[in-house]
Amino acid sequence: MASPSKRDLLGACLWAGATVAAVAASDSMLLRVILGVPTALLISGHVVLRAIGVRTASLTEHLVCSIGASFAVTIAGGFVLDAMGLLVPLGWAFWYLAATTAAMLLAPGDGNASIPRAWPGPLRMQRWQGAAVVLAMLVTTGAYALAIHDQAVERQFNYTDFWMLPPAKGGPGQLVIGVRSAEAQAQQYDLEVTLEGKPIAIIRSLTIAPGDTWVRKVPVPILAVQQKAEARLYLPADDKLYRRVSALVPGS
Amino acid sequence: MIRAYFNTETTIAPARAWMHSILGIIGPDLRGGDTETAPDSANSNWIAALCLVVAVALLLVAAGQGAGRRGNDVAPLLFWSGTLLVVVPTSLRIAWPNVARGERLFLLVLLVGALFFHKTMYSPTGFAHHDEYLHWIAAEDLTTARRLFLSNPLLPIASVYPALEIVTTAITNLTGLPIFATATLLLAVLKGTLITALFLFYERITGSPRIAAIACLTYMGCSTFVVFESIFSYESIAFVLCILILAVEAASKDLVGRSRSSALILIALLVASLAVAHHLTAAFVAFYLGMLAALEASRRDVSLRVQARIAMGATAALAIVIPLVWVLAHGNPFTGYVGPVVETGFKALLAKLMGTSTPQSEHVSPPSQPILLRLTTLLAILLTSVGLATGFFRSLAMTAPVNLRSGWRPIQGILKRRWRDSRVVLLTLLACGFPISVAFRLTVNGWQIGNRMGTFVFIGVGLVFAVGIVHFWQGRGARGWRLIVPPAAISVIVMGGVTAGSIEPIRGPYKVSSDAQSIERMGIETSLWTKEWLGPGNRFTSDRVNRLLLAGYGRQDVRNKINPAIYAARVFRRDKLGADDFYALARSDLDFLVVDLRLTTAPPVLGFYFEPWEPQQGTQLTADELLKFNDVKGVSRTFDNGYLIIYDLRGLHGEP
Repeated sequence: MASPSKRDLLGACLWAGATVAAVAASDSMLLRVILGVPTALLISGHVVLRAIGVRTASLTEHLVCSIGASFAVTIAGGFVLDAMGLLVPLGWAFWYLAATTAAMLLAPGDGNASIPRAWPGPLRMQRWQGAAVVLAMLVTTGAYALAIHDQAVERQFNYTDFWMLPPAKGGPGQLVIGVRSAEAQAQQYDLEVTLEGKPIAIIRSLTIAPGDTWVRKVPVPILAVQQKAEARLYLPADDKLYRRVSALVPGS
Repeated sequence: MIRAYFNTETTIAPARAWMHSILGIIGPDLRGGDTETAPDSANSNWIAALCLVVAVALLLVAAGQGAGRRGNDVAPLLFWSGTLLVVVPTSLRIAWPNVARGERLFLLVLLVGALFFHKTMYSPTGFAHHDEYLHWIAAEDLTTARRLFLSNPLLPIASVYPALEIVTTAITNLTGLPIFATATLLLAVLKGTLITALFLFYERITGSPRIAAIACLTYMGCSTFVVFESIFSYESIAFVLCILILAVEAASKDLVGRSRSSALILIALLVASLAVAHHLTAAFVAFYLGMLAALEASRRDVSLRVQARIAMGATAALAIVIPLVWVLAHGNPFTGYVGPVVETGFKALLAKLMGTSTPQSEHVSPPSQPILLRLTTLLAILLTSVGLATGFFRSLAMTAPVNLRSGWRPIQGILKRRWRDSRVVLLTLLACGFPISVAFRLTVNGWQIGNRMGTFVFIGVGLVFAVGIVHFWQGRGARGWRLIVPPAAISVIVMGGVTAGSIEPIRGPYKVSSDAQSIERMGIETSLWTKEWLGPGNRFTSDRVNRLLLAGYGRQDVRNKINPAIYAARVFRRDKLGADDFYALARSDLDFLVVDLRLTTAPPVLGFYFEPWEPQQGTQLTADELLKFNDVKGVSRTFDNGYLIIYDLRGLHGEP
């Protein structure tokens, strides 16, 4: 049984242990955030303050120093885990468990460095004041949601991506040709592929809706010498060249 | 004779009276502060009301950013009215006399949180600023490779200072959150920690929560506070560590024995963390603690304990030795990185002061802001200067021995090396850097020095200004204009921090080479295309903005040089690819090259397309220059969307 002055340290160790379990066994991001963020940004620093016997004058000061010490623990952990080749999730979780356990063992048991309990000042809130604060949180969340929505729907340029990838060396003789539409509305295209100036594929009236991608593999012969392939994308409505790409077909 | 005597007297008398009143204004007379009768408990009516006001203000800011994205004319009105609502009511309440300590601290955290949110809404789902990309790339590399000290071609020195990436990836590893979400969470914690630590630091050295709160508000007037120190960059974590070191050191001043040793161990841990976080901030802390130890050693005070002097000396030694060892262990990348910036900055400032010929880059006109924003910044600088003038000697007087409180005797005492707290003396002297930082900001090349200086100088500016407000402008029992005008002036200074913090704080349509304003969806999707279809890790080069996108979203290995001696900018800059450039490209290991035809539509907003030191600064690129690669044998055109074209250079090296 831990002495009363070390209960917080025992709690910190249990928290770090729970973080190890969550990282090892859980895919729940929420659970890992709830356990992992305090471990990395607060608890590890708190135990270090207790281990080295730092006395703080107020809870605010203790919180701030704990966060600072947590950075120190984490940065030190980065170097240690790098040296051990363990910069992986479980490596980090065990690092914090090791740090909290070591701090618990090292911390003086006299209670001299226990957490000060004084808050900055008493605050009594009436019901409407609490409601106002909750409303403020909701409005702020709404503001953030609005900002995310505005960014998501923002599209300043309308365009069509057109590409042609050469055959991989030693792979099958295939050109990969792709079209992706980021236009405002569905477009119709004509596509022509040539090899050393001679047509090898023609595709007419290719209709692509905004957001859709069209990909086609076009076989090409692999000769002893390098050949140049070219693909052209036309807009039939205007009967004009819209995009042009090229690729080098490697020799055998 | 008699007549002449009277004339001299009548001339001298008004001059004397004028001088007397000037000395009265700037003099060391302490009139207030200690007499404040602040209530013990916070006023929850104010807290609730201000929370609501700030929330509505942030909604206006979000609406303003949205309107800006749509190119709506109402955007500035919405954005700036929201910003005013965030800053003014909260600042007024924080700076008001007779407010509880806890309420001031809560409102400071609320204001800082709101300003961070304000900055985040510029780009709520992804990084927006140039430096953020550099560190995002480093964090992604660390997550993927699981090794430290990986090279970062876009910011080579950052690989030696991996603290930010370590902390970020630690949280990412524990939680499974993506880097951007982790960075936002971390920055929010950093901002809250920063302002609380700054408040505790000022409070500890002045003994007054009111001075501390006003000093924190004044600090927010620094041009780096709202944006630069809130971005995902190594300075952001380093500055928090810096203020924590200052706060812990100040808090330990009266400690003795084991408590003092414990504080020293904590400072050592924080200094070691700072040494691997950021070079300039570590250098500032070494300077601060070194100067503090020197001042303590030189001050005449029999009451000072030998043990305290030894502790301060040990603290200074730690702050100097640890970063120095780290720098030397990594081949001293610091001087090579900072040296040229400092050199060109000083040259530009001297040239401006002497009226001699200025460097070529000084002729590039800096991006301008609307006149109202510039006036706000200027007014904030003016008010800060007035505050400094009235606070400088008072700040020194505050730490003079108690028996030397009348007239100019406190200053005489200070000059005789008699003071009570060396921290106050040092910070007051540090505030003298304010006019120098402003002067640097007036030059294009020195702007960066002035901006970075401001971060540290404002620690002193905050203190001196706050002392001026409390002990001169408001004094004892402030009423009438003395009650209202000083808090209003502080609100203007905080607004000045917002207006000076960013050239274009409202999201708008794409602009050429404007960093954050050049980042939009098409560029991002093209970079994502490279990852999907070409795979990550290809060697790319491009202009400054597309390099960031390719490295960040595309996870490509981007280069700003073709080989160690040639910057990539050179091959983009001529109508025809010369034999030298062709040879350099053919001998390079570059796989792809991205050209952005939008660059030909306008001159670069920042004055350059590729590097700040490119020779043809301000000259607009032409389509012929960018499209010349169509006709180069061995180069194929892999991707084209009408704006962005990707050229495959592997054929130059004998590959497909």
